[in-house]
Amino acid sequence: MLQNLTLILPEMILFLGAMGLLMIGAFSKGDSTRTVNLGAIAILALAAATAGSFANNAQATAFNGAFVMDSFAALMKVLTFVATGIAIIMSQGYMRLEKLARFEYPVLLLLAAAGMGMMISANDLIALYMGIELQSLALYVVAAINRDSLRSTEAGLKYFVLGALSSGMLLYGASLIYGFSGSTNFVEIAAAFQPQDGILPMAQVLGLVFLLAGLAFKISAVPFHMWTPDVYEGAPTSVTAFFASAPKLAGMAIFLRIMMTGFENALVAWQQIIILLAILSMVLGAFAAIGQQNIKRLMAYSSIGHMGFALVGFAAASAAGVSSVILYMTLYVVMTLGTFACILSMRQDSGPVERISDLAGLSQTRPFMAFCLAVMMFSLAGIPPMAGFFGKLFVFRAAIDAGLYSLSIIGVLASVVGAFYYLRIVKVMYLDAPADEVNEPMPRELSILAGVMTAFTLLFFVYPSPLVELADKAGAVLMQDGMVATDMLQEHLAGH
Amino acid sequence: MTLTSLAFYLFATVAVASSFMVISSRNPVYSVLFLILTFFNAAGLFVLLGAEFLALILVVVYVGAVAVLFLFVVMMLDIDFAELSEGFLQYMPIGATVGLILLLELLLVFGASSTLIDTKPLPQATPDGMTNAEALGRVLYTDYIYFFQAAGAILLVAMIGAIVLTLVPSNNPKKQNIAAQTARTRDDAVETVDVEPGQGI
Amino acid sequence: MGTYHAIVFFPLIGAAIAGLFGRLIGDRQAEYVTTGLLILSALLSCISLINIGMDGGTQKIMVLNWISSGGLDIDWVLRIDALTAVMLVVITCVSSLVHVYSIGYMSHDPHRARFFAYLSLFTFMMLMLVTADNFLQLFFGWEGVGLASYLLIGFWFKKASANAAAIKAFVVNRVGDFGLILGMAAIYFSVGSLQFDTVFDSAEALAQGEFDFLGMTVPMLTTICLLLFMGAMGKSAQFLLHTWLPDAMEGPTPVSALIHAATMVTAGVFLVARCSPLFELSQTALNVVIVVGGITAFFAATVGLVQNDIKRVIAYSTCSQLGYMFVALGIGAYQAAMFHLFTHAFFKALLFLGAGSVIHAMGDEQDMRKMGGLRQLIPATFFMMLIGTIALTGFPLTAGYYSKDAIIEGAFAAQAAPHMFGFAMLVIAAFFTSFYSWRLMFMTFFGVSRSSNETLSHVHESPPVMLVPLVVLSFGALFAGAAFAGLFVGSEQTAFWAGSIFTAADNQILIELKQVPGWVVLSPLVMMISGFALAWVMYIYRPSWPSEIAAQHDLIYRFLLNKWYFDELYDFIFVRPAKWLARFFWKGGDGFVIDGFGPDGVAANVLRVTRRMVGLQSGYVYHYAFVMLLGVAGIVSWLMLTGGLS
Repeated sequence: MLQNLTLILPEMILFLGAMGLLMIGAFSKGDSTRTVNLGAIAILALAAATAGSFANNAQATAFNGAFVMDSFAALMKVLTFVATGIAIIMSQGYMRLEKLARFEYPVLLLLAAAGMGMMISANDLIALYMGIELQSLALYVVAAINRDSLRSTEAGLKYFVLGALSSGMLLYGASLIYGFSGSTNFVEIAAAFQPQDGILPMAQVLGLVFLLAGLAFKISAVPFHMWTPDVYEGAPTSVTAFFASAPKLAGMAIFLRIMMTGFENALVAWQQIIILLAILSMVLGAFAAIGQQNIKRLMAYSSIGHMGFALVGFAAASAAGVSSVILYMTLYVVMTLGTFACILSMRQDSGPVERISDLAGLSQTRPFMAFCLAVMMFSLAGIPPMAGFFGKLFVFRAAIDAGLYSLSIIGVLASVVGAFYYLRIVKVMYLDAPADEVNEPMPRELSILAGVMTAFTLLFFVYPSPLVELADKAGAVLMQDGMVATDMLQEHLAGH
Repeated sequence: MTLTSLAFYLFATVAVASSFMVISSRNPVYSVLFLILTFFNAAGLFVLLGAEFLALILVVVYVGAVAVLFLFVVMMLDIDFAELSEGFLQYMPIGATVGLILLLELLLVFGASSTLIDTKPLPQATPDGMTNAEALGRVLYTDYIYFFQAAGAILLVAMIGAIVLTLVPSNNPKKQNIAAQTARTRDDAVETVDVEPGQGI
Repeated sequence: MGTYHAIVFFPLIGAAIAGLFGRLIGDRQAEYVTTGLLILSALLSCISLINIGMDGGTQKIMVLNWISSGGLDIDWVLRIDALTAVMLVVITCVSSLVHVYSIGYMSHDPHRARFFAYLSLFTFMMLMLVTADNFLQLFFGWEGVGLASYLLIGFWFKKASANAAAIKAFVVNRVGDFGLILGMAAIYFSVGSLQFDTVFDSAEALAQGEFDFLGMTVPMLTTICLLLFMGAMGKSAQFLLHTWLPDAMEGPTPVSALIHAATMVTAGVFLVARCSPLFELSQTALNVVIVVGGITAFFAATVGLVQNDIKRVIAYSTCSQLGYMFVALGIGAYQAAMFHLFTHAFFKALLFLGAGSVIHAMGDEQDMRKMGGLRQLIPATFFMMLIGTIALTGFPLTAGYYSKDAIIEGAFAAQAAPHMFGFAMLVIAAFFTSFYSWRLMFMTFFGVSRSSNETLSHVHESPPVMLVPLVVLSFGALFAGAAFAGLFVGSEQTAFWAGSIFTAADNQILIELKQVPGWVVLSPLVMMISGFALAWVMYIYRPSWPSEIAAQHDLIYRFLLNKWYFDELYDFIFVRPAKWLARFFWKGGDGFVIDGFGPDGVAANVLRVTRRMVGLQSGYVYHYAFVMLLGVAGIVSWLMLTGGLS
């Protein structure tokens, strides 16, 4: 029992912390939002540190194998919790100015983080579902947290209804899998999911498809992405920043884990589906974003596209592929949070602005913000030597090594199309006449965060090996294979 | 065909048919009523499986509480559901086609997979010599503590969410102050006023 | 050593100063710098010619290691031998005189610094061409003069016809250059080097060699020679590639004198003379050279008969005289060709500059029909033009007499069929030359003036800065022949050329030409006199005849006036199909295919795809849900249909 509690310590910290903060918020006189915010950040930091302490431990399970902790889970949890913490930091000013500052917000984010931790460590279909629901329910609520705004409530409702549908699919798939394999545990499912005479049992594959649809919804992969633009646009910007970061990490983590461990024998089936999702996501992300005028909608399509690129590495279904996905997701989260730090700073005295044209001439009015945003855009477009380039490099290398040539070619073409809209933003900022729409100064915490993210993105190429090694180690846990990405990096650096 | 099978097919057919009616009936009140019927049939299926505790919980919680709550909400909200479902009919043909294709595929797959099910030993609903409730109770706080607590957390989130989204903090909350009530004396509440004749207060 | 560097690089320095700092230092200073440097260069050239003439031999002066890539190792070396020395003198002397002349001629032009920069640049490139020690170096100069020619023809870039002429000159030259490039490639392919000495040493081997080309077997040496000759034809405006030269008269007149009379157009002659070790071994190639040269001489002379533009007459004359030079090359008398090149440079530059002086005097009027009677008004110019004309027509003891007669006699001497054809063409051309030259003189300087009084009142003699070069050149036109005949083609030629021109052992043409029958020797003289007589009758004695004859033989007249309809023919055969093809590729290839399916099309389609994808985002939840279901159904169907589960 003690081991059980030790392993779920990060989630325990989050959950208990959330309840404690809830009490503080509910019973304190006056406005306690600030206190709760700071408390939430501290709790997230503590949880991240605790999760990080498992990084070098061997794989261990708890609760009859329902919960697993290994270096993959540790890394992903640290990233997720840190991303959530940053989202809370970034939200403070925005929420205060928008009169949305409520102590429930950080509490809900803490509970969502606990859910994400459960997802990442899930080793059982029920645990998976519980984690997803805990996370999703909190997300539905925060999407609609601006309850006086029609768009925000609509976003929350849409997200909820479609999320329920996806949960239904996931459950249907899970029940099929349970029905045909007799267990909800990933390891036992893998043992039961054996090809018969070289043919996979179709009913289980069917369950896999439904399960996959439910998971694809969480990472908004096409065609299960439809909620993303509406929710991203409708939700308050600070919530959107959170949506685009931590939940994507957690979703991708559980997606990787369940496919690599629970369905390793069904690789031929899910690999095709992942390839399909990757292609559709990359293409739609690239094309649909071009037509957007609202920068939050644009970021929605951008994140759809980036999920497609991450799925390229996923489709490789190799150790190199897994570590490339981890690396890609990490860099994606950094770039996204950096971008949103800038978007959150797009304010007039009358309120926030969201149109891309509002950025016109930003380089003259807000040179630092324009520079940060430009670096982020270049990086998102995958232009060397920004960090985003290396993310793409690794996923495409992994895909090519796995023989997925056409997928890689489509991916590169999609990233070319995608570069258009990223660079358009840079063009608007640097070449257009100043519109002076953004005339509020950048809040201090946002400029610090944006500066740090920009520096990371710019300088990643100088010393990428620590992160690459971590990703490799985490990927190796899932694949029980060598540290391929590190070799790739060595090779790449030697080539120069 | 045994009685059990007959009952299974009865409950299953009615459940499917009534759930179809939930989405197809024009009057939302009927929809909720069909939903209740669906729950009842599902409860019947639980009974057939030997999970009578779950069957009763389903009836008590879902029919007795949730569905009735739905019914109140539907009746209280003055929504023209006919208007909302117009689009539904418009997309009916294509939606039906896709649904039908999916259904056929599912049938095809399950038809082919039936042999596979037989090879597996069926799990037993209740260990021998134990009631339903006892069996659940034995595992709920031991083997399934993690899931149980997680479900609790989910409910907590749902509660917080409901409050966040609906509670309007009032400027003048009518709160009961017991100390103030008990400390109240006659002198606080009653005042004697001499009223001069011919003048108002 | 330093001398040759100075000769070659002074013009470049001048061009750089005038071109880069012309605005800074002013037009006047730019003129002085370039002109001064060129005069220095010309003086040094004359000294070097004397040196070479005395001690002979070939000097090679290393400048730098130019290209070193794999098996290709090319040094930039100045090769100085008699052939080069002659060219150096011609180029630098004429160029410096033209520079001086231009100071006067261009005095009203606002872009003089640019003009002088171009002139000096041209001179440098021409020097590069003639001092080349390998084919690549030669090609550099060859293209450099082409560029300078383009810039100078189009100097008045605001004039549409000047731009058209510049482009035409460039394009037609590209046809020739194409041959030159192929020739160089063939040489490199077969010899493995582009160095002159190496290539010439293996000439014997090349003569035996054969190429396999498209299943045919072609003799190696002849192919190379013909390809090189194709380059020469383009540069020297030989028949079929001549059309650019008359149009090039759109440039300022000093340019015509320098580039299109004295120097650049003779580059082809120089090339063939330089490659004499190759040509000498291929009789086929030589015969082609004779025939092309003969036809050019005849053809250009006929066209010159009826032209009315004073500069065009001289331009066709140039073309015709180049034909003479090529006939001389073809018969193996390279020395005679170089001799004619040398003398021709003087009298043709003289004629051009004289014509420039006339044009200058008449206020930019070039049509001879609007001139006449200018003898009294501009006597000095008239006198110089007269000297140029008698030299051109080959009046005894003038420069043309020596060089031209040597060629005509040489053509007769060999007695072979191509040679006799060349001989016949040249004799007839000599008659025409005399006629059109005197026609020019009579129409311009004699008779009654046909211009308006307004123009006449402004007619004035050119300033000394323009007349001095004319005087210098007229000395050359009168005495260069007599002075240098011995060295170039006479008894001292072997010692003078000192191996810079190769002649086969059995090639005794320079001796044989002295032994031709008397009537052959006399024929040019007869032709010259009869041409003069006919011109006198038609333009002085019976001025009404020309128009009557033109009316009677309308067909021939118009055939000649329209230059044998070559421009129209080329327009029909090449230009229009090319334009049609270009249009096809533009509209069909670029517009339809590339823009339609390429970047523009893709970009447009991206937007279309984008609109459609954005259109999917309707905002209705049931649409979204439907898309999700569709996705699941699609995936399931796909997996079932492909059966990709095994």
